[in-house]
Amino acid sequence: MSAITENKAPGSVPILEIRGLRKAFDRVPVLRDISFTVNTGNVVTIIGPSGSGKSTLLRCASFLENANDGDILYDGQYAMKGGVYAPKKELNRFRTLFGMVFQNFNLFPHYSVLKNICEPPTLRGCDREEARERASELLKKMGLEGKENAYPCQLSGGQQQRVAIARALALNPEILYFDEPTSALDPELTGEVLKVIRQLAEDHMTMVVVTHEMSFAHAVSHQVIFMDGGYIMEEGSPEQIFENPQQERTKRFLSNYKK
Amino acid sequence: MSLLTMILKMSEGLGKTCAIFFLTLWFSLPLGMIVALLRMSKNKIISSVIRFFITVLRGTPLMLQLLAVTYGPYYLFHANVSRNKLIPVVIAFSINYAAYFAEIYRGGIESIPKGQYEAATVLGYSRFQTFMRIVLPQVIKRIMPSVTNEVVTLVKDTSMAFTVSYQEMFTIGKQIANSQTSFTPFIVAGVFYYLFNFIVDRVMGRIEKRLNYYS
Ligand SMILES: Nc1ncnc2c1ncn2[C@@H]1O[C@H](COP(=O)(O)OP(=O)(O)O)[C@@H](O)[C@H]1O
Ligand SMILES: [Mg+2]
Repeated sequence: MSAITENKAPGSVPILEIRGLRKAFDRVPVLRDISFTVNTGNVVTIIGPSGSGKSTLLRCASFLENANDGDILYDGQYAMKGGVYAPKKELNRFRTLFGMVFQNFNLFPHYSVLKNICEPPTLRGCDREEARERASELLKKMGLEGKENAYPCQLSGGQQQRVAIARALALNPEILYFDEPTSALDPELTGEVLKVIRQLAEDHMTMVVVTHEMSFAHAVSHQVIFMDGGYIMEEGSPEQIFENPQQERTKRFLSNYKK
Repeated sequence: MSLLTMILKMSEGLGKTCAIFFLTLWFSLPLGMIVALLRMSKNKIISSVIRFFITVLRGTPLMLQLLAVTYGPYYLFHANVSRNKLIPVVIAFSINYAAYFAEIYRGGIESIPKGQYEAATVLGYSRFQTFMRIVLPQVIKRIMPSVTNEVVTLVKDTSMAFTVSYQEMFTIGKQIANSQTSFTPFIVAGVFYYLFNFIVDRVMGRIEKRLNYYS
């Protein structure tokens, strides 16, 4: 599988395809006919007002929420087809393809930083020592060298989020989802997290990032999706969306962020 | 009867007091978890039946439950009242305490943020792994103070066994008090319970401290 993706140029192989996705909570539609594709090596940012369905979209893509209709394909294979999910075993295999970084970090508070990062790969059969080495390597990359034995409560929000990113990366996902990774942080701490994500983008990590950091989205993405009211209102390159938006709603939304 | 004789006689019942105490904990702590999980079952029938039993067990006196378990079989089926009363006593205590522990566990489990389950799911933990590795350790830490309360209450509740004349420390003390028309045995019992709970408090405090490595 990775052999195939490596042979092709980044940006041309779809790792995730979503077609006609629909989701309602208590008959209230939250996602209506969502379709988009994420190619390997690309960064897709999703912007839009709160309540527009951005989180629900990521949660459907990561199987945390059951969609009602549509297709979800990973690596060209159906995880869901016409609203019907693949068998549990299949879904577990698809689960190894993606990672998720949450707004509230969701680190395990009773585990040290090292155990937070090492336990998931170890449970998947990875060698203990190898997982340990990889964890230290990732921590270094996140600028958290020597924090192995700290507990999450001893770290700042920015540090916790970087541990959460390391934890997700330790499983070598093909695609990484971020749901407003800096929204729970004090303003002075958002920079360190965005910097790490930007660095991942430079390493051609495939990512879907829900964010309200417009200049970050502008700088880092290959593709920007603007959502409103459960629809993808507009989609395009960062230049198209930020410099030359076509839809009235997009313009209005973005004008709130102009200083 | 001298004070020393009283103390010695009552001490003979301490073994039985301890037997009730430890056996009740041994059975009710795990049983409470099973009850809590059934209480939270998605199956509405199971969860409401369990909820009903919990409210009955918490809403009626332990004393009545002791009488029911010990003598109920005799009245219902004319079965012999078990000669070793420890068995019905421990059954009644364990069921009663399991009901209390179940509610404590449930509160603890429900207090774990949804995000912990979601993170674990995305990281590939199975449901069982999530419960055993992520949820349970955090629950134990959170419920420790409430569990300590129950354990302290249990020490004192062992005295209820006098209602079925099980010869534990308090029952012996009560018999001495009756035959000697003296209040002293009750004071001795009070001191015994106080000392017992002093130890319980120390032990539980130590466990709580050990769980304080994170907050
Ligand atoms: N579990 C849920 N139950 C009911 N409604 C929900 C649930 N989750 C989200 N919603 C609703 O779905 C809509 C979209 O929510 P969300 O995806 O969180 O939006 P966003 O992330 O863009 O702010 C909102 O109106 C929200 O109230
Ligand atoms: Mg959201």
